[in-house]
Amino acid sequence: MLPLSLLNAAQNKPMLVELKNGETCNGHLINCDNFMNITLRDVYQTNSDGDRFWKLKECYIRGSTIKYLRIPDILLDAVKEEQVRAREVGRNTRGAHAGGPGNRGGRGASTRGGRGRGGPMRGGRGRGRGVQ
Amino acid sequence: MSSLQGYVDRRVLLILQDGRAIVGVMAGFDQKSNVVLSDSKERVYSMEEGVEEIPLGLYLVKGDMIILIGELDETLDKAVDLATIRAEPIPPIRY
Repeated sequence: MLPLSLLNAAQNKPMLVELKNGETCNGHLINCDNFMNITLRDVYQTNSDGDRFWKLKECYIRGSTIKYLRIPDILLDAVKEEQVRAREVGRNTRGAHAGGPGNRGGRGASTRGGRGRGGPMRGGRGRGRGVQ
Repeated sequence: MSSLQGYVDRRVLLILQDGRAIVGVMAGFDQKSNVVLSDSKERVYSMEEGVEEIPLGLYLVKGDMIILIGELDETLDKAVDLATIRAEPIPPIRY
């Protein structure tokens, strides 16, 4: 599983972010991008000694300043299940539309189908699939 | 190509630049060596008392911070009584 897919799934969930300077930010994830830049809402910020606190309504954290994020445990299972489901859907739509044009499969399925048609089912998967 | 793929779903030890030692099951990683650890615990070493394990749960560690990743020999690790281990903590890297 990719770290960023986990982070994407953590939107609206509470998390703790420790920065490289030791400060921590506790809050709910509003949004994130591929650089791991994030915005949090209802934030409790502590300094690196942990003896001073600030409450912020919202904050933006540059991805490169993050040391680690602590995320609710249940998210791991949620993302894993979602991946299994997405895989199932991909398989079904690919099978159903292999013969004809059809546009019900959605964009994702049809682009994949284009690559996959020439070879065996697995051949169509992007290179990225190797990395879990 | 060197890859972390072989460590996925294995229990690993992470050493971070700030000297922390974290053990957990590697759930995933990416090109930048960002790592997802599930069921992770920090091991705090000291000369005064035995090793203290602090449960951390699900962790996403930025690749920048990681110094070392090693697979843990679980049978060997379980055989060790951490409470009897005394060791100097690893100092943080200073620039």
